[in-house]
Amino acid sequence: MLARCPSCRSTFSTERAGPQDCPACGKPLVVPDVPGAVPPGTQSPLQAGAPPPEEQGTPWEQRAEIGAWRAWWETLVQALFEPGRLFRSARLDRGAAQTGFAVLTVSVPWFVGQMLDRFLLRPWTQRLMERLGASGPFAPLLQKLAAAGHGNSPRTTVLVALLAPLLVVVGLYVNAAVTHLAAVLLGQAKRGFAATFAACAYACAPLVLLAIPGCGFLVGAVWTAVLTGVGLKETHRIQPGGAAAAVLAPYALLCCAACALTMLGGVVAGAVPQ
Amino acid sequence: MRCVVRAGPPSAHALGLAATGLTLLVAAAVLPLDAPPLSLFACPFRAATSLPCLSCGCTHAFAAVARLHPLDAVAASPLGALAAFACAVHAVWTALRLCGFRYAPANFPVTPRVRLGAAAMLVLNWAFLVLRGAP
Repeated sequence: MLARCPSCRSTFSTERAGPQDCPACGKPLVVPDVPGAVPPGTQSPLQAGAPPPEEQGTPWEQRAEIGAWRAWWETLVQALFEPGRLFRSARLDRGAAQTGFAVLTVSVPWFVGQMLDRFLLRPWTQRLMERLGASGPFAPLLQKLAAAGHGNSPRTTVLVALLAPLLVVVGLYVNAAVTHLAAVLLGQAKRGFAATFAACAYACAPLVLLAIPGCGFLVGAVWTAVLTGVGLKETHRIQPGGAAAAVLAPYALLCCAACALTMLGGVVAGAVPQ
Repeated sequence: MRCVVRAGPPSAHALGLAATGLTLLVAAAVLPLDAPPLSLFACPFRAATSLPCLSCGCTHAFAAVARLHPLDAVAASPLGALAAFACAVHAVWTALRLCGFRYAPANFPVTPRVRLGAAAMLVLNWAFLVLRGAP
C-alpha cells in the first residue's frame, strides 16, 4: 500500500499498517489500516490527475527481477529518451538504489574518459587549453590548468579515476542538497528531499557521455540540467516553470559544488607523490 | 514549538548527507588553499565581472571551520560558515543517532516569511562579500 509521511510529505510503499518509520526522513508515523480511507467514488490526493501505476519502480529499482545489466540499460534509455515516464515511476524509498545507478552510470564512463584523455589525447587537449588561455577573461585560469596538466603524473590520474565513485556520491548529494534548497526557497519542494534526490540521481544518465573526452562533459552537463528539471517536475508533481526555476537557481551557486569536487580531487592528488 | 522529536535510526539520505558533509570538511582541513588544486579554482563570475558570486569565499569558510577558526570562516563568507557548521552538526548528530540517540530535529514549516528571510540572507551575504572583497 502507498502511504505518505506527514513530516516530509514523501510517498512510500509499505507492506503493513501501523506505527513505523518513514524510509525517507526516518520520522515515526502511523500508517492507517485502511489505505482507501477515501470516500468511495473519489480519488485520493496522490492519485488525482496522475496515472495509477506511478511509483511502481524504475527498471533499475526492479533489477532483482529483470537482471542488473538489462535494468541499467533500460533505465539509461528511458532517462535519455522517455524521462517523464522514468521519473514518474521512480520510488522515493529507493535512495540507495538510485545512488547505485548514478555511481555506475557516471564513474565508469568517467574512468574511461580520464584514461583516454590522459594516455591518448593529452597533447591535443593541452595545446587547445594553451591556445584558449592566450587571451580573454579566463586566460589566467586556463593557463594554470594547462600548467597543472603538464605536472600531472599518470599515477595521480589513475588514482583520481579509481576514486571516481566517491567523488560521484559526494557530487550527487551536494547537487541534490543545493537543488532541494532552491526548491524549498521557491516553494516547489512538495514531496521532500527523497523526491529531489531521485530526480538528481536519474538525471545523471547523460553523464555517460563522459567517456568521450573533450566535448562529452559539456553535452552531458547541459543534458543533465534539463533532465533534472524534468525530474523535479515529475517527482514533486509541480509545474514546469517551478521546476525550471528550482533547477536554474543553484547554478548561481555553481562555484560551491565545483569547489567541493576540486577539494576532493585535491585530497587524492596531494596524497600521491609526483 | 518543539525543536526535536523522537525518531528512529537515520535514513539512507541522512547518512549520505552526513558522509558528504564530513568528506567536504575533511578535504577542507587537509588541503592547502594556496596550492593546486584549490589554487587552480577561480570563480568564473568573478573573472568575468570582478564581482564575487553568491558562493565566493565558501572554500575559505569550510577550511576555516575545519581548522576551528570560526571568526575567519565568518569573515570569508557568513553563509559558507553557516553551511560548514551545519555539515558538522549534521554529521555529529547522525553519528549519535547511529549510536542509539533517538531524537531528530523537528521539521519547521517553510512559510513565505521564512523564504523571504532566506532570500534576504543571501542578498546580505552577497553585499558583505562585495563590500569586503571576497577571497
